[in-house]
Amino acid sequence: MKKSIYYSLLMSAMMSVAAAEETRQVDKHEHGVGELNIAVEGSAINLEFMIPGADIVGFEYEAKSDSDIALVNTALSKFQDFENIFTLSSSGNCNLVDAEIDINQGDEHEDEHDHEDERDHEDERDHEDEHDHEDEHEHEDEHEHEDEHDHDEHEEEAHNEFVAHYSFTCGNVKEIDRIDFPYFTTFPNSGELEIQFVSEVGSTSFEVEGDKPFIDLKGKI
Amino acid sequence: MLLKLSLSSLYARLVTVGMTVIAISFSLMLYMSVEKLRTSAYTSFTDTISQTDLIIGARASSVQLMLYSVFRIGNATNNITWESYLDVVNKEEVDWAVPISLGDSHKGFRVMGTNKDFFARYKYRGGQSINIDKGYLFEDLYDVVLGAGVAEKLGYAIDTPLIVAHGLQSFSEHDDQPFRVSGILEKTGTPVDNTVIVSLAAIEAIHVDWSTGAKIPGQETPIEEIRKMDLTPENITAALIGVKSKLTIFNLQRWINEYPEEAMTAILPGAALQELWRVVGVVENLLLGISIVVIFTTLIGMTAIMFSSLSERRREMAIWRAMGASPRTVVGLLMLEAIFISVLSILLSVILLFFSLSILQPWIDYNYGILVNVEMLSLRDMYVFMTFIFASILVSLLPAIRAYWFSINDGMTIKI
Repeated sequence: MKKSIYYSLLMSAMMSVAAAEETRQVDKHEHGVGELNIAVEGSAINLEFMIPGADIVGFEYEAKSDSDIALVNTALSKFQDFENIFTLSSSGNCNLVDAEIDINQGDEHEDEHDHEDERDHEDERDHEDEHDHEDEHEHEDEHEHEDEHDHDEHEEEAHNEFVAHYSFTCGNVKEIDRIDFPYFTTFPNSGELEIQFVSEVGSTSFEVEGDKPFIDLKGKI
Repeated sequence: MLLKLSLSSLYARLVTVGMTVIAISFSLMLYMSVEKLRTSAYTSFTDTISQTDLIIGARASSVQLMLYSVFRIGNATNNITWESYLDVVNKEEVDWAVPISLGDSHKGFRVMGTNKDFFARYKYRGGQSINIDKGYLFEDLYDVVLGAGVAEKLGYAIDTPLIVAHGLQSFSEHDDQPFRVSGILEKTGTPVDNTVIVSLAAIEAIHVDWSTGAKIPGQETPIEEIRKMDLTPENITAALIGVKSKLTIFNLQRWINEYPEEAMTAILPGAALQELWRVVGVVENLLLGISIVVIFTTLIGMTAIMFSSLSERRREMAIWRAMGASPRTVVGLLMLEAIFISVLSILLSVILLFFSLSILQPWIDYNYGILVNVEMLSLRDMYVFMTFIFASILVSLLPAIRAYWFSINDGMTIKI
């Protein structure tokens, strides 16, 4: 009897050690705050949006009912036309060369990675390969851990998120002095956008809300 | 004619008018200096670091990471392991990386461990490099390079010996391993000026006999032996990173933020500075608001003075009327007066501003590291001046209308 208590103590101690060893990280998630990263180099400008589902379709669970799936699909189709989301100053003379629109819901994290990979290939075809593999690998690891141990956290994590990447080549990238965001009117549920911006001039950040839906880029490219 | 009349009338009341002008010009100067300080602080602030694409450190808020790694304000929550640092450095996207180790101090100045790349890679004010003023960068393990401010404030020169203290405010010193000043940097106007810079190996070396924040008693490894040791750091506080292509920054940032083996944060320095400035911006708007209120107060003061002088000047106005001035002319005269007073005040305030700024500039620079740009007035200042003149015409209307009634009622004779 006593022995079995010791065993169970020992077991639980071992288990807690095991639990402590694996990494458990959960991305921050904030309703009403979408993220946007903008990078400019040479004649290229890339925009990547990561918007919580609540801001777009008003719910954060995985779309299962027909009406929810329809909502998600309408939203995705709105993202297809980037002018529903943002407009670059026309003097920049920019052409869309690539767009990836997707929604991450629940465990479909894989999707995101696939797309990132594709994009990376386009960005720098040869030397990114290696790191992408590494990338995938580690993320898979993470997933395994999550799957094995963190079932309750998993549900908590099942927020959906819209991810949209747009790449442009511009005739006159330096002429872009403003980006407007019809995003706020396209999606009335949207809150603010936290924007990180980087160009050869340096990096900066913006917080944009619906009452002033644009950023001023004079001298920033 | 009207102009001359108005001028001589003002001249006759030199003391009152003079005091009004001085009061107004001081309030205008207050506004302009707040504005100048605000814009200069912003530029010095954003000029602190440039051409570094990412800063990495232990998981923290971007502002906190920025403050301790670049401004040396506050402390790191954690360090990151050398292993994770190497993992990041070995990423394909990374062009260069400079590790930074913080935590010790010398007489109130932060000691930063880094490598020689720091001097080549750290840029400020739109790409300016740090230059060495005297001596050379560290060659020996116990060489230290001083920021201009440290050398100046402590009166150190090349070859001055110094001892690094453990922690930031502690009495335990690494006195068994004295350092020597090998170089002094040129003034940069950045926090580098107030930093004592040693090599990463030196940081490791001084902690050889230390464990968990205290010296192990009785244990003293001779310096000769330390020199022979492998002094590769086990951990660092932060690192500056440059990427090959700006388009890959966000991918790398995400990779670092999601790095499974260690909780790290990667920030874009400019983005974090901007974020911090949005917080500071509240205070700056407050200051601006106060100085605008002060301007209004002086405008009201000016009106009050004009009102009170009206009753004294009824005789003067009677004379104007006797000489053929219509009541309207009297109104015009008073408004002209207001314009004179405001233009004069603006001129005086500009002179006062540039005079005081040129005197205070070195002091502000020395104490706060903010280089106030004493240059021409901005377009915004011009707008403010125009608005001020317009406002003063508006407020002068009140006493002018009163004067109009006085002159109609009084005519040429005063009935007091």
